[in-house]
Amino acid sequence: MAFGTHGTAGSAVSTIQLRNVSKDFILPDGKALPVLESVSFEIAPQTFNSILGPSGCGKSTILNLIAGLDRRFSGDISLSMPAGSKAEQPRIGFVFQQPRLLNWRTVIENVELPLEQEAGERKARQALARKYLALVGLSGYETYYPLQLSGGMQQRAAIARALVIEPDVLLMDEPFSGLDEITARKMRSELMRIWQETGKTILFVTHSISESVFLSQQILIVSRRPATIFKRLLIDLPYPRQYGDARLFEIETNLMRDFLGMEE
Amino acid sequence: MSTIPRILSIVALALLWLTLSTLFPPTIVPGPVPVVKAMLQNIQSGQAFYHIYKTLLRVVFGLILTMILGVAAGTIMGLYRKGEAFLDAWVTVGLTVPAIVYSIICLLWFGLNDRAAILAIGISAFPTVAISMWQGIKGIDVSLVSMANAFHIPKPAIVRKIIFPQLVPHLLGAMRYALGICWKICTTVELIGMSSGVGYMMNYWFGLFSMTQVFAWTLSFLLVMFAIEYLLFKPIENRLTRWRSGLTVPLVAQ
Repeated sequence: MAFGTHGTAGSAVSTIQLRNVSKDFILPDGKALPVLESVSFEIAPQTFNSILGPSGCGKSTILNLIAGLDRRFSGDISLSMPAGSKAEQPRIGFVFQQPRLLNWRTVIENVELPLEQEAGERKARQALARKYLALVGLSGYETYYPLQLSGGMQQRAAIARALVIEPDVLLMDEPFSGLDEITARKMRSELMRIWQETGKTILFVTHSISESVFLSQQILIVSRRPATIFKRLLIDLPYPRQYGDARLFEIETNLMRDFLGMEE
Repeated sequence: MSTIPRILSIVALALLWLTLSTLFPPTIVPGPVPVVKAMLQNIQSGQAFYHIYKTLLRVVFGLILTMILGVAAGTIMGLYRKGEAFLDAWVTVGLTVPAIVYSIICLLWFGLNDRAAILAIGISAFPTVAISMWQGIKGIDVSLVSMANAFHIPKPAIVRKIIFPQLVPHLLGAMRYALGICWKICTTVELIGMSSGVGYMMNYWFGLFSMTQVFAWTLSFLLVMFAIEYLLFKPIENRLTRWRSGLTVPLVAQ
């Protein structure tokens, strides 16, 4: 497989741009299994976007490619900063499906982890970690160990860890799918608030129609493997959105119909 | 919490010993009082310090050798499939051959000296450490490594901050277990080929049919091992596994 280009495009209107990105997994017997097929989309700065698709369709692969964790693909991925900003390349924060915290470190030490490689005082690191722990509602839990927290609180700590590097882009891979629905709802509302307070560009992967409709301005609907963008949907409803809003429900119903149509 | 059962277990052991000593003649089971007296005499004469020091020296160097061999073998087996295939048989042989065989071979090859003793100890105990390390590496949570990659944490830092802490409990467990093995083999080596150490003194008093002294030497060494366990290993383990201590999920309903 040819190596795709993964670079910066200088200042542009979009923060993330994928053009004809394809990827095959090489199976142990040497056969190629196509995972992504000519995926193209654009993500505008400071918007909330989700990739919606069935389980195992390659949604996470798209995030891994954008984060640069996997360089074997063909096509073109470019990340760029809005005009006028100093940095060349946007910083990326990653939130996984599981919290992936280091159980032997306290909550605040976990949040400090990505900062430790950078120059800077320990005091400054801690202050920053404290700030983002407060933002996700974990003030007072700094010295707890992850295993002493509930799943929802662990995921909050993971979100704080992604935010502490002050990323321009936040990639989230089904972050609430492991939580019970009530906790997940709370977390979604808080993510909404955090997004509005910080103005991050968010790309959120999910298999839940209602979750994507509740959160996003743009939904990219992905087909079954090999994944390709089946439909792009813009939702122009104001924030904060409410659960049970009739307009959201209507969009969900239409989306469900699209999904069933896609299956045929 | 667990202090009371610990004290109770020691008291129970002492009582059992006392009971047995009243049932059997002192040439078979000497009572605690003469044994402790003999032990104090050994300490006063300085004999105890000399021989325990000699034994500890061999055990410590043997343990260091075992840890080096075991960690190296276990790491190779954990990281490389070919290494696993290559070393698997060695470890199995190491586990199967009785320690006394290594002891005899080493003593015959290198003579009746500390070097032979340390080598015999090191070889006999290393397979256990290798297996523990091997399993530890197999059990590393790779998802944490990919998390670290996503945050652009450099490779050396990943090894130090993500991988090593996951191996610590395995290493610590292996070391405690290996220490027990090392001490047992050391006394055997001393018994057959040394002219100093606790094992040698056991053999000496065995020759004189003094059960009291055999008990006294066993007890003094036991006390040293307890001191190592509770003053060295336990505090280190508690410090390193603090993150688990907050868990209050009882396995048995109370």
